[in-house]
Amino acid sequence: MLSEERRTEGTALTRPATGRLVDPDVRDEFGLETIDMNMGPQHPAMHGLLRLILELDGETVVRCDPVMGYLHRSKEKISENRMYPAVIPITDRIDYMNNIAMEYGYCLAVEKLLDVEIPPRADAIRALMNEFGRIMSHIPSIGFLMLELGAFTPILYAFRERERIQSLFEAVTGARMMFHYIRIGGVKADLPEGIPEKMWSYLEGLEQRFEPDFVDLIEGNEIFISRTRGVGKMTPEKAVEMGLTGVPLRCTGVEFDVRKHYPYGWYKNLDFDVITDEAGDVEASYRCRIGEVRQSIRMIKQILENLPEGEVLADLGRRLRPNEGDGIGRVESARGEYAVHVVSDGSDTPYRVHYRTPCTVNMQLLQEIVPGHYLPDIMPIMGLIDPVSGAWDK
Amino acid sequence: MAVTLPEGNLETRLSRYLDGFNNRHGLEESSAEGNLVLIVVKPQDLPAVLATARETLGILHLSFITVVDRQGSFELTYELLDLRGAQVRVKTTLEGEEPVIDTVTGIYPTANWHEREAYDMFGVAFKGHPDLRRLYMWQDHFDHHPLLKSFEISTKRTFEGLR
Repeated sequence: MLSEERRTEGTALTRPATGRLVDPDVRDEFGLETIDMNMGPQHPAMHGLLRLILELDGETVVRCDPVMGYLHRSKEKISENRMYPAVIPITDRIDYMNNIAMEYGYCLAVEKLLDVEIPPRADAIRALMNEFGRIMSHIPSIGFLMLELGAFTPILYAFRERERIQSLFEAVTGARMMFHYIRIGGVKADLPEGIPEKMWSYLEGLEQRFEPDFVDLIEGNEIFISRTRGVGKMTPEKAVEMGLTGVPLRCTGVEFDVRKHYPYGWYKNLDFDVITDEAGDVEASYRCRIGEVRQSIRMIKQILENLPEGEVLADLGRRLRPNEGDGIGRVESARGEYAVHVVSDGSDTPYRVHYRTPCTVNMQLLQEIVPGHYLPDIMPIMGLIDPVSGAWDK
Repeated sequence: MAVTLPEGNLETRLSRYLDGFNNRHGLEESSAEGNLVLIVVKPQDLPAVLATARETLGILHLSFITVVDRQGSFELTYELLDLRGAQVRVKTTLEGEEPVIDTVTGIYPTANWHEREAYDMFGVAFKGHPDLRRLYMWQDHFDHHPLLKSFEISTKRTFEGLR
């Protein structure tokens, strides 16, 4: 464990993020060459199926070219061929770490087309489940980051938490992963009896375990700091220019959160802070995720304290035929701004569905910030972006 | 903070955006409703309109580009956010089977992959794009653009008989 001043100063521990590049003239004179290397698609630290074509000068990356599409399941084409409610299970499988937000975005888009009123209890339950989903996604992503840096313990702690939340979700939705819980017009079913109390006691337990297991264990660790501080450093201008959203944007100090600035559903009634950090490197993204989990706990407690009574599903009739036009639903998923654009032609099936997944956009960053870093720094940078294969490939 | 985000009342900002576009460009249609400014432009004006949005009006974020195949024409939607509550939706229609439009990567660098995706899925050619390769599909030996309505899938279903 580091003392506070060494941790905050920390300069002795950090090394410059930029590797040394050989001057092209010198390279020619001595016959040195850069080599091309494939990383992935089947690489244990690639968060799924991602292939990076790397040009290496020694151990320094000169060029990084991500190749996507290894998990492309044509979600947009499938969605055009299904009735409106039947698209929801498809959206579940986009970002399989944070499914609830994916369903939520699609349902918001269709509800905008239908112009329906959602029962307040349904709105509150949606926000509740969405925040649990965020905890369920952020904690393992911290675990994955540490796993890629060589620490095995945090991933075990992370999956312990994820499992417990999954058990709560199983009691509510009937599924452990592909929930299909949020429906057009509300949610599938009310919370079962006793579940709000169980959620509350789980949160109290999580609050107790959170500091020792995810903060004290990781934050001051010398290896963690030396592998993450200054790595993947970017300026706020660059982040905004690249269209980043979510934690990669907020860790550079730009305050943008869809929940706060484009509020939807129950979030208008909730009191929470947008967590930002100034550093804009991998360590800052870790701190942002830790802060966001705390905010999620705070939000869930507010919702559970004032859970409105009433119906949970609006009656929309048996057959949904929205009016012609555009419906855009935008939510803050665990990875950033997730938007669904549904175009209707007045028939049973959507005419076009476009999913704007945050991972696809955030991954452009790899081309920009990886060059100049050492090869092993790609892992922490992937941890900064925290992409999910299903989400970037759709 | 080095990035200046817009401040002030949402309604005044919306009317500033609407007037800003109307005064500088010949728009086919423009309206403001809720927190949304919707403008319809001719395809040749699109880069200039987006340049106005970013450089003059300070709308910094391009959220996504949607292409809709209207069978005979293509409808492009550029969704912009000022990151503080206002949305600007720019729409344009490209006639014909082989759509071509100027790239906006010089204005919004994030458009790079959005345009690659649109090219991959619909065959929309973005003139001046630095790296117009397919994003998801195979680079070689695949000549289709899968999200076109003319690309039939084998399990096409109709729901006509249902009540």
